[in-house]
Amino acid sequence: MSTTTHPFTPEEIMAFVDGELSADRAQSISAHIEQCAECREIVTTLRKTSAALSQWAVPPVPGHLEASVAAAAATNSISSEQLPWSTLWRIVPRNLRRSTFALVGTAALLLLAIAISIPTHRSKQFDLLLKERGRQQVGLTKQERKSVKALAEPADGKDSHGFSHWMGDQAQSSSSVDGHAAVDLSRTSVRLISAPMIARTVSVSLVVKDFDAARGSLDTILARHNGYAAELNVATPQSTGRTIQASLRIPATQLVAAVAELKALGRVENETQNGEEVTQQHADLVARLKNSRETEQRLQDVLRTRTGKVKDVLEVEEEIARVRGEIEQMEAEQQTLEHRVSFATMDLKLAEEYKAQLSSPAPSVGMQLRNASVNGFRNASETLLGIVLFFAETGPTLLLWLLLLSLPAWLLWRRYQRSLAIS
Amino acid sequence: MDQAQPALVLNSEALPRTAVNETPPKEANAAGNAAAASTTSDEQLMLAFSKGSSYAFDELFSRYKQPMFAFFRRRVSESTQAEELTQETFIALLRAAARYEPRALFRTYLYAIGFKILRAHCRKAAFRATFFGQRNSAPDPAGRDATEAGLWVRRAVEKLEAMDREILLLREFEQLSYAEIADLLQLALNTVRSRLFRARTALRNLLEPPAGPATPGAPQEIAKKGERA
Repeated sequence: MSTTTHPFTPEEIMAFVDGELSADRAQSISAHIEQCAECREIVTTLRKTSAALSQWAVPPVPGHLEASVAAAAATNSISSEQLPWSTLWRIVPRNLRRSTFALVGTAALLLLAIAISIPTHRSKQFDLLLKERGRQQVGLTKQERKSVKALAEPADGKDSHGFSHWMGDQAQSSSSVDGHAAVDLSRTSVRLISAPMIARTVSVSLVVKDFDAARGSLDTILARHNGYAAELNVATPQSTGRTIQASLRIPATQLVAAVAELKALGRVENETQNGEEVTQQHADLVARLKNSRETEQRLQDVLRTRTGKVKDVLEVEEEIARVRGEIEQMEAEQQTLEHRVSFATMDLKLAEEYKAQLSSPAPSVGMQLRNASVNGFRNASETLLGIVLFFAETGPTLLLWLLLLSLPAWLLWRRYQRSLAIS
Repeated sequence: MDQAQPALVLNSEALPRTAVNETPPKEANAAGNAAAASTTSDEQLMLAFSKGSSYAFDELFSRYKQPMFAFFRRRVSESTQAEELTQETFIALLRAAARYEPRALFRTYLYAIGFKILRAHCRKAAFRATFFGQRNSAPDPAGRDATEAGLWVRRAVEKLEAMDREILLLREFEQLSYAEIADLLQLALNTVRSRLFRARTALRNLLEPPAGPATPGAPQEIAKKGERA
């Protein structure tokens, strides 16, 4: 351009050539171009450039494209007879779509509720079944007690023979040697040994409405079933319901009834029952105890009848003391084992259904603000500290990985950008 | 004075712009279609198509198959790729018909679809080239079927900066307005104008013969000089 001042920029002239200016502006530029040779030259150059570009012709579209698009159109036609579901869905008005979403959501919630309620219903049925079985077991125990009692009474030959047949040859031989009393003893012992020894543990979580009444009922139930609380903790937090955590010992024979009564105190949230068979363990313990006692007896005999050096006597006494210690340890173990069998362990968690109290003594607004500020500051500082600790702990590793991965990533990115530019 | 008139449509595939619900010009291509279709605007046809009229789609396809094919042909390496992308664009139009709302010109809408499909194609091609080592067999868009003069022009266009080139192509061949280009490329209107001017100036410099008394703008002459270069 020369030193002549032009009222329009070349870009405006270009916009005029492209028909992108308003009518007034276009008229002004047109008038200027008529008088200005330089601007006319710009217009000419622009037109020539466009004309040169028109040399870049593209061949006509292939004929088969029409056929392929027509085929695609036939499969994707939005006519009412062939509407695919996705297209149908798009045709559905937006408000109707929302209501459909709401309906589907409601149906999903209902299904979820049903899915949740079915296990609850089944667990109730399971509880009823357990109660029924408990009653049956109690009945059986009574029957057994009756039968044991009947056996303990002096029986005639017929009864004796029948029982001998039931108990086997050992009981029969005992009855033939020692008479009825011995028969009773062997019968009871064999019966006791043959019965499986099971240490039962029950864990129950309950939610009760009336916490005080439940607390009282718990003591009553324990007393009625001759049980006791090995451990009992009562918690009374401020903003939630009160809780009791107790470890109860209940006679095994009364466990089912006691559990049923305890479960009736409230809503059962969780229940677990376990039974550990300790028959083998008990039998081993009895056998070892018997051996130890015999060893002790023999050592006593040796000490009493034999004479020897003082050193030997001392050694025998030491051995007797060791065996005695083992015997006492095993006796304690036996007692504990038998206690575990005779008294079932029940872990009870009893929670109060919390009701928010309107008239609860709420702290003042100032105190609440202060507490909230303190909590907020504490949370912020903990979060900050956590972030700092995280980076202090993982920062070096992250940095290392970053260094390791940055080079290949950068190379890939550069290659990708280059390919993008080429394509 | 003829110089004071706005630029004419340069290319056969570029259609004149019509406003929404405005009667289209009579010269709209409607070979083999009814006279009623030729007087219907693109937007009306698209609305009819969104309501299930297959005839409207046929009409739209006949109007835009060549512009869309040319749009892709100038930007991809293979003619078959351009065909596929054109087909893909019309299929996308089919699928999106139910959602169509006449908020802008149909032409802009269609080019926006085409532009998205083209970008996706470029991304895929770049990804393949990066990770699988596949290169485009013919890196020159429209290379095989270009005339000698066209080849020289195309080479000159390729030397432009990518965004400038795109703006220039959209303006010169697709005949989009500055506002439509700005909308399509997510740029400010002034940016489009300044970049377009820059692209045209750069192209003029590239097309101009470096020396000699040759007539500027003569395609054959430019082509010959290009071949020598």
